[in-house]
Amino acid sequence: MRIDKHPILDFSSRKKIRFTFEGKEQYGFEGDTIASALHALGVKHLSDSIHKKRPRGFYCAIGNCASCNMIVDGIPNVRTCITPLKEGVDVRMQEGKGRF
Amino acid sequence: MKSKADYVIIGGGISGCSIAYNLALQGAENIIVIEKSYITSGATGRCGAGVRQQWGTKMNCLLAKKSVEFFEKAQEILDYDGDIEFKQEGYLIIASDDQEAQQFKKNVALQNSLGIPSKVLTKEEALEIVPYLNPEQVHSATFCHTDGHLNPFTMTDAYYKAAKRLGVEFYLYTEVLDILTDGHKVTGVLTDKGEVKTANVINAAGGWAKEIGELAGVEIPVYSRNHEILVTEPVEKMQGPMVISFSHNIYCQQTPHGAFIMGRGDKDEPKSHTMRSTWQFLDKMSKTVCTLLPKIGELRVIRQWGGLYNMSPDHQPIIGGTKDLRGFYMACGFSGHGFMLAPMTGLLLSELILGKTPSMPMENLSLERFEGKDMEEVETSVV
Repeated sequence: MRIDKHPILDFSSRKKIRFTFEGKEQYGFEGDTIASALHALGVKHLSDSIHKKRPRGFYCAIGNCASCNMIVDGIPNVRTCITPLKEGVDVRMQEGKGRF
Repeated sequence: MKSKADYVIIGGGISGCSIAYNLALQGAENIIVIEKSYITSGATGRCGAGVRQQWGTKMNCLLAKKSVEFFEKAQEILDYDGDIEFKQEGYLIIASDDQEAQQFKKNVALQNSLGIPSKVLTKEEALEIVPYLNPEQVHSATFCHTDGHLNPFTMTDAYYKAAKRLGVEFYLYTEVLDILTDGHKVTGVLTDKGEVKTANVINAAGGWAKEIGELAGVEIPVYSRNHEILVTEPVEKMQGPMVISFSHNIYCQQTPHGAFIMGRGDKDEPKSHTMRSTWQFLDKMSKTVCTLLPKIGELRVIRQWGGLYNMSPDHQPIIGGTKDLRGFYMACGFSGHGFMLAPMTGLLLSELILGKTPSMPMENLSLERFEGKDMEEVETSVV
């Protein structure tokens, strides 16, 4: 969900950015982080907890908590909540602690 | 606080806990441990968590080998409910040039003669074990597959709990202010929580061993200096052994949890009790690890810390008593490897204190070995 109209703030229309999530083509907007684009698309499950493998989602949003660590263009442990969305990036969920 | 004890151990690191456990196990009673902070608050909890037997002196080799034999069974022997995380995937020691390789060959011959299963590896064999080693930095290597990783916190906790079950009492957040003597023998210990009468004091104070010695009027030729370490984010397993290089001045291992721990020594580090973290270390450490193990450069650093190496003149520990003051014993000067030698520290010192024949000769561990003669052997395999 995105806010289009707001009584005080102005959300001007932004450029669409194309990327892929789990191999499927998706769109976000200029100014999004990877995690914010996913969140707006309704993707709430970004990673799994280390030991019990329970779902983890958008949490600290400042790059501290590791809940949003994902594989971006083949690089694991990318903090998607502070990584700007760029045209054409390949975003995937990662298993475990990241394989380098 | 107790007003009387048979044995007062100063220091709640792994050495103090091991000494307490070994004394109690052999039947000694009324043992107390005094720790000015919490268990593992000093060098133990700040160490690199490595256990190796590839040393350059006979004494260090023997202490390490027998300690590894204990660690292999420690979980059962100490009936510990946690996990000591003893992972034996070896130490890979990198030789950078011919000269170092020659020295390592001698070390391996010594280690093998003492029953340590180390071997010399070619550059290619080393790269098979850790494929992302920078081949340009590797001349050859040595490897011992029974070396490895051990968790300093849980291993010490195992000793602590086992000692407690045997009746040892621990006084944490209690500081030793003075050691009382009649000039020839120990009579007591003064702490900030009260006075304890005792005939036996054991100095296992790690970075503060020299200062504890001064309280008793015993001069111990050791000094402390800061040694810094950093740890990365945890990642899936990618490295089995500890990789260590003396010429690059680095050790680097992946813990079972997945984080990489790495440290380096700094020859210019002054004698002091500071345990601060510096950006200079972060800078040099990052450059060093990226030179030897470039792939590790992709990982993020989580935090860094400092801890004290307690250095002795020959980089081998001082374990024993002193003829100048009856009832005063010490286990110090481990020069950065007290954690991995703790089983033997506890065993040998407790045997000596209880008047038993020590499990191995202890002359080369004595304080007196430094008196008026050249040192026989100096350990050079230290980062």
